[in-house]
Amino acid sequence: MAAKRKMSRWEIILQAAIFTVGFFYAVTYYVKVSEPIDLQMVADNSLAYLTAMILTAFAIGIINLTRIHWRNIKLRRADWKFSLVLIGSLYGMAIFSIIASPFALDPRGFIIPSWLIDVISPVWNFLYYNVLVSINTSIFSLLAFFIASAAYRAFKIRTMESTILLIAGLLVIIGEAPISDLIWPGFSAIQNWIMLVPNTAGQRGILIGAALSIVAFSVRRMIRYS
Amino acid sequence: MTKLDLDVDPRPIYLLLIVVIALPILSRTVLPVPVSNTTRAVYEFIENLAKTRPNSLVILSFDYSTSLVPELHPQAIVVTQQLFTLPLRVIFVAQWIDGPALTDAVLDAIDKGSKKYGVDYATLGYIPNIATLIGMTTNIQQFFPVDTLGNPTSSLPIIQQFPAGKQASLVMTFTGGEPGLDNYLQYWQTPYKIPTAVGAPAISAPGYMPFYNSQQIVGIMISMRGAAEYEFLIHQVGLSGAVSAMVAQSASLWLVAILVILGNSAYVVRKATRRGR
Repeated sequence: MAAKRKMSRWEIILQAAIFTVGFFYAVTYYVKVSEPIDLQMVADNSLAYLTAMILTAFAIGIINLTRIHWRNIKLRRADWKFSLVLIGSLYGMAIFSIIASPFALDPRGFIIPSWLIDVISPVWNFLYYNVLVSINTSIFSLLAFFIASAAYRAFKIRTMESTILLIAGLLVIIGEAPISDLIWPGFSAIQNWIMLVPNTAGQRGILIGAALSIVAFSVRRMIRYS
Repeated sequence: MTKLDLDVDPRPIYLLLIVVIALPILSRTVLPVPVSNTTRAVYEFIENLAKTRPNSLVILSFDYSTSLVPELHPQAIVVTQQLFTLPLRVIFVAQWIDGPALTDAVLDAIDKGSKKYGVDYATLGYIPNIATLIGMTTNIQQFFPVDTLGNPTSSLPIIQQFPAGKQASLVMTFTGGEPGLDNYLQYWQTPYKIPTAVGAPAISAPGYMPFYNSQQIVGIMISMRGAAEYEFLIHQVGLSGAVSAMVAQSASLWLVAILVILGNSAYVVRKATRRGR
């Protein structure tokens, strides 16, 4: 086994910060400390910094996206028109959302003129409910076509395990269809049993296994074992 | 290794699927939908809450994006409609960025009756982080100084009556994934024993069954079918459009099942034929 590389000063500081924060959150979850300071409150409020970090990453993403597509437009690269649509959609929707949406900065019209909110509001509603929702639901519904054409190829009775999976999957699919109950009420009873008994057993195993893995990985990271 | 893959042109299957989905929708056929235990549990909990503890607080969390509108939006509509016909107070929040806009769409789709904004219900909007989710359990005003309409929450009678989220008698999340149910289980249900329910798409519902079995959640509404079942329970068939989609859903699910059976029959026959040679 290769010897561990010696850490630089910055790496030591970073590792100390990782251990301190990890240890602090683990302790405050299990041990209640309210005097002299409420540690739980400190831990909860500190989580707000996580949002600040995520927002920073988000801002970097927007800046990067803008730079790439702005250059595409400027240099008239291939498919530059799509870049134009992207930039227009990104900033157009953002501006409309700031003026008139559930995320509006000034929904009561103290600074932004009320007439502007009244003009933008139906535009935003159209773009959101009639364009965005329709596009996203259409894309998502395409899954039905993939499933229909892939299921009969993927579900094959190759081995004993795959046969059990196939039978269970088929019974759940059939049980999920409301018309199946009119054909035979037993379909939904079987589906219910599969969901509540074997599925629950399997899901519990996955959940507990995943939770233990997270604990193990976190401890390893805190003590720089991995 | 012998290759036994079934190389079938998928286009006729796509066409067949379009037909079995479109025909029932166009013909507006309605099918009775048997109510599952998981859906009935949500309905009965809310009904009992209104009877035993009228004017209790219910928090609805819209934790899904626009792509999940077909599965979760009908659920949100029917549950909100039930809540608005009962003597209960409702606060709307969202852990997903699309949630506040979808909340407005739900409120536009239902009959609000005599319920007044600020008194019987309020829309607080987006919960940006776990700190807010945790913090609002003890002080809503601190973490939501204004609602989505720009009103100071301190001026809303519903917030004056229920200044802390932990006073809620039920929190229900319509969730497309994370953040969603897990946060409420971890930070609301476990420490404060707030009854929790979930509306989930079909793909996520199996993952929530352990929590239903252990009674950590009072009930689960599963996919559009859950909404269709609820329409029958609240006697408002057609409210969310879920019931009218059930024939199409049944037909498409049966089509998939038949294709799987046919595919496997062909696979077995081919395998036997090759062995025979």
